[in-house]
Amino acid sequence: MSKDILICRCEEVMLSELKAGINEGLTTAKALKLKTRAGMGICQGKTCRPLIEQIVAHYTDKEIPDGSGLTFTYPVRPISLIELAGERKGVE
Amino acid sequence: MQTADAVVIGGGVIGTSIAYRLAEHRKVVLIEKGEIGAQTSGACDKAIFLQSKKPGFPIKLANASRRIYENLEDELEASIEFKKDGGMIVIEKESHLPFMKDFIKKQNKAGIDVKLLDRKESLAWQPSLSSHIAGSAYSKEDAEVNPLLLSQGFAEASKRKGVEIQTHTEVTDIAVNHGKVIGVQTDKGYIATELVVNAAGPFAPKIAEMAGIGLTIMPRRGAILISEKVKPLIHGNILCSQYIAAKHLEESNSNDPPYGIGLSLGQTESGNLLIGGSREFKGFDKAVEPEVLSAIAAHANRIAPALKQIRIIRTMVGFRPFTGDGLPIIDESRDVKGFIIAAGHEGDGIALAPITGVLVASLADNNSNYKDLLEPLRMNRMQAV
Repeated sequence: MSKDILICRCEEVMLSELKAGINEGLTTAKALKLKTRAGMGICQGKTCRPLIEQIVAHYTDKEIPDGSGLTFTYPVRPISLIELAGERKGVE
Repeated sequence: MQTADAVVIGGGVIGTSIAYRLAEHRKVVLIEKGEIGAQTSGACDKAIFLQSKKPGFPIKLANASRRIYENLEDELEASIEFKKDGGMIVIEKESHLPFMKDFIKKQNKAGIDVKLLDRKESLAWQPSLSSHIAGSAYSKEDAEVNPLLLSQGFAEASKRKGVEIQTHTEVTDIAVNHGKVIGVQTDKGYIATELVVNAAGPFAPKIAEMAGIGLTIMPRRGAILISEKVKPLIHGNILCSQYIAAKHLEESNSNDPPYGIGLSLGQTESGNLLIGGSREFKGFDKAVEPEVLSAIAAHANRIAPALKQIRIIRTMVGFRPFTGDGLPIIDESRDVKGFIIAAGHEGDGIALAPITGVLVASLADNNSNYKDLLEPLRMNRMQAV
């Protein structure tokens, strides 16, 4: 009996959920993210992104992409609304 | 060679809604160049506002769509997190009061239940708002939905009706012969069909061009801030009257905030706040300048100071398809038979997705059931004025 594995800690997404998505025909990290919320949490995939990309590559029999299929956006780290409102240096 | 009764181009909320309705009597293929609901439909807020629409035809159209939402979860057999939580338009400045009072009067005349609330009543409903606001317009008819689940729900329900969805597939040409559509060429193969629906949103002009049709739809860039998950803080959805003024008042004022900023604020089922937004013409440039994000934050912070310590974890950028008059184009081309355009919903794609599917099906069936709703959405209306 195999145990399930937690992949995205912020959104509590398990390996079995990602595998289920792939079995339904999803073939990219972005599609899995939209379906399961993996990588949508407070760390924005800083922990699970490489894992998700390896899982996709493994189960779809593709190469692990060089660049990430998931986009990076501002802010680089969480920043409070008031800080973002105040100073430009807050979002660099 | 593959054949289909209809090919829908674009897998956002609009294209999936259309594929779902067309699948009733047709073999349908839906082509999406990326993922389902991942572009414009995945970078927007979740509000289904009625009271923000222009009184007159836009309200009538939005109302028809809103009625479909009532039973949509049952119909799609999926949760789309549809909630009737009401909506509020915050009137921040006293100077917006006369305009908003007039707007509410017109909405009431159009049969929309909108009430003017004073400062105290507004704060009682939304305690996160600033005590400096002048008041608000509140409607219990406004609702909300999860746009990601909406696209996925339409897509899954379409599949159950036999629609074939081809993601990561790009349309490279539309084959036209003697003024009639005969097929669609993609990077994966050719599909023979006599009916093509262009639901490519901001990319619709590129698709139309392949059929030799000129279409003026411009990408209007909108950025939204996404916060960490927090306990429920916001009831339903909030806009500010600046948004209404920017949307409906033709003349712009030099005192208006930069980057087309107007507040749109809501909280997802997961607890994240969606804080918008800007409205700019920047082509398809996704790199939003930090100044724009700061301006959105500053505007939201002024209207809802209770949010100031909440952390922003991400921003999203979408390209809203802008037609110029605030209404989409839903029409069959006069020059190329079998080529239907259903694009240009700008910021109303979520609100109008359900009715758009129904209208396109009516066009395809060539019936006159929705003549009153389709007439004002014809593509040649721009030249007509």
